[in-house]
Amino acid sequence: MVLLRFTLSEEGVNALRDALACLNKFSDEVSLEAKRDKLVFTALNSSKSAYAAFSFASNRFFSKYHYEGIAQNREKFFCKLYNRALLSLFRARSGDSLHDPEKGGSAIERCDVAIEDEAGKKSRFIVKIACRNGMTTKYRLPFEVSPPVHAKFDRNEAFNSWTISSRTLRQLMDHFGPGIEYLDIHSEDDSTVNFTCFTEKVASGDEVLKKPLHTSIAVEKDEFDTFDVSEDKLHIVVSVKDFRAITQHAAFLGSEVSAQYSMPSRPMQIRYDGDGVKCEFLLMTVGERGAPGQRAKKTRAGAKPAPRAQQLEAAASRAASNAPTPAPRPTPATRREPMPSLRPTAPRQSQRPPPATLDHESLFVPQDDDYQWEPVRMNEDEDEEEADARLEWDASDRPNPSAVKMSSVIANQTAQRSGPGPDNGMDQDQSLSYLEPTQRLSQARQFGLFND
Amino acid sequence: MRFKTQLKNIRTFSKLVAALSSLEKIAWLRLDDEHVRFTVIPDTGSQVWALLPMEFIFDNVQLQSAEAQNTINLELPLVPLQRALKSALNATSASLRLTKKDGIPILSMTIQTSTVAQGNQGGGQGSYSRFSRGDNGPGHFAGGFGEGDDDDGVYNIEPLETHLHREREKIITQDIPVRVLHPDNVEMIMQPKVREPDVHIQLPPLLQLKAISDRFTKLAAASSRASSSATATAAASNPKLELSANMHGSLPALPLEEHPSTFFREAGPDKWASVRVDGKDWSKVLSVGRLEGRVIACFADEHALILYVYVPQYDDVQGEDCVVTYYVSSYNV
Repeated sequence: MVLLRFTLSEEGVNALRDALACLNKFSDEVSLEAKRDKLVFTALNSSKSAYAAFSFASNRFFSKYHYEGIAQNREKFFCKLYNRALLSLFRARSGDSLHDPEKGGSAIERCDVAIEDEAGKKSRFIVKIACRNGMTTKYRLPFEVSPPVHAKFDRNEAFNSWTISSRTLRQLMDHFGPGIEYLDIHSEDDSTVNFTCFTEKVASGDEVLKKPLHTSIAVEKDEFDTFDVSEDKLHIVVSVKDFRAITQHAAFLGSEVSAQYSMPSRPMQIRYDGDGVKCEFLLMTVGERGAPGQRAKKTRAGAKPAPRAQQLEAAASRAASNAPTPAPRPTPATRREPMPSLRPTAPRQSQRPPPATLDHESLFVPQDDDYQWEPVRMNEDEDEEEADARLEWDASDRPNPSAVKMSSVIANQTAQRSGPGPDNGMDQDQSLSYLEPTQRLSQARQFGLFND
Repeated sequence: MRFKTQLKNIRTFSKLVAALSSLEKIAWLRLDDEHVRFTVIPDTGSQVWALLPMEFIFDNVQLQSAEAQNTINLELPLVPLQRALKSALNATSASLRLTKKDGIPILSMTIQTSTVAQGNQGGGQGSYSRFSRGDNGPGHFAGGFGEGDDDDGVYNIEPLETHLHREREKIITQDIPVRVLHPDNVEMIMQPKVREPDVHIQLPPLLQLKAISDRFTKLAAASSRASSSATATAAASNPKLELSANMHGSLPALPLEEHPSTFFREAGPDKWASVRVDGKDWSKVLSVGRLEGRVIACFADEHALILYVYVPQYDDVQGEDCVVTYYVSSYNV
């Protein structure tokens, strides 16, 4: 029996993919909760210190949305899916990367999703993807019906808040290098807010040079649309990885990001909206309750590691005892794993032929195509390299006679000079592989390699 | 020990650091009253000595050291430096200073940048810059300016461009961990001595050379993987490229009778000087092409290849060039 059926347009697929990619940075598994008026995807990380929820409005986000429900629970249906599998369905198809001139040839045009759940039958999450080129693909994913875990945020407690443009926030985060763990946000004085990163890893001796770049940014308060923090110099510390996952997604939507929090060691809520989608995150802030001022200093000095981030569940139970709480959201508890990049990888310079001429005197401002100067990569773990390596047809164990090894070529030459080759096959190879060391300049000039 | 300077030419500086860091992640930085020198010596592969006049990347330098000739020697990780310079690319000003934090010496880069300035950089460019920032903010029409008269009565509605939003300043501090080196530890390190080269040529555009070299390297790697599945990782079995040059190119001959290049020139166009370089290492070396300097390659036949990369000071024609020297060794057959 089909209990939920919805259709996504191309934009809808993109928006859902961005959301799933963001959720994937928190957890491997994603929880889905369907109601008549909305579809909610949530994830809780393994240490239960970060929680993400995307709520898609059924009447605005979807081209079609029909919720049937099941007999046992008419109100809502929930299940848990393996996010990577789900994400891979919506991933940009090969051949429609950003740099493909025939962009859109195999881009997703439409996507129909149906969820079937019936006793005694295999329950399935069925995705039908129609591409622009007329091809339709159908996927069936298994899911697990499991009761959601609730994480709550008490807004009455969170008396500190700020809002800022997602683009500005993204620009700020771009200044932070890799390898850092925590981000400390605090107001310095009446006019500036400080973003500082730090790590708890202690380095000594040779390791000192391996320390990550330490970045701190002083931002004028005007940069925020609102900034309402009751206590000056209140250090609020969150995980950079989680915060970055949020700011990256928020920048896609280009909307305004708002944060609400109370004290260190209490959760921080970050919210922003897109077209028909509401995004909410809870991040556990690091630190000791009641000693907000000194806490960050202590961690940075590295005297002793700060107490690990408390779990959101603890917050949830506390919040549950409070009467006026926002509607509970279900979440699954899952493991976390690094996620593969969603963006199409930058085209590798060596995959394309060298340009015929190099326009040194170009009138146009040179583009920053710095990637072409990256050293050649030959690691076998790269997929495209693997494809290159698989160019061989000879399945036999015999070593490839035309191997481009300098030593073997030279050896062949000397062998030829000193006497007849070991066998006839070898002789033929020599005539094939022997080349004049190079060409005359006059011969090479026609290839445009030398410009004078 | 004091070191404090304003940064200039940040884009070129950043490209130099990128080129160096493709060979090795840690560099030796030597500062004195006149020069900045970056030295990179990888365990295997080519070494680089980059000698820059102080005013090439620095301005208003304050340098003070107790050591002989007023030198400061630092060991410096290149990746964080590159990252910090990236932050400084669009800065209104940037400065660098040697200091200590929590007892650890750092090079602290202070970068001033303003948000709005990204939109209307260089107000002197007038209407050009106003209309060329199509991706900056919604509401700008994308079709360009003056597309002809289409009298359809439909007009694009544009936001009023005011400067009510005053430029907001951000101050970014990027702290790069460094180690201060004792002069005794570094004065042993000498620039390699190589015999007089047999052939010297100006290299063709490095981008093309790199594309061809990388292609050969990949081909060689692929075919050697195909033929010998095991032990392909050892450095000795990496693909090698053979480069040959003769003295009949475009460079003027040195008027020296005893010089080996004279011998190679007189021997005619069939007299080649050849070196065999490691394909992977060579690709890293060619990464210096991003600096867009003139490159002179000196071939010591069957021995070594030395590249001199001359990067001019674009804002000061009279100024001394920056010379980046690569020592590439040749492998035996």
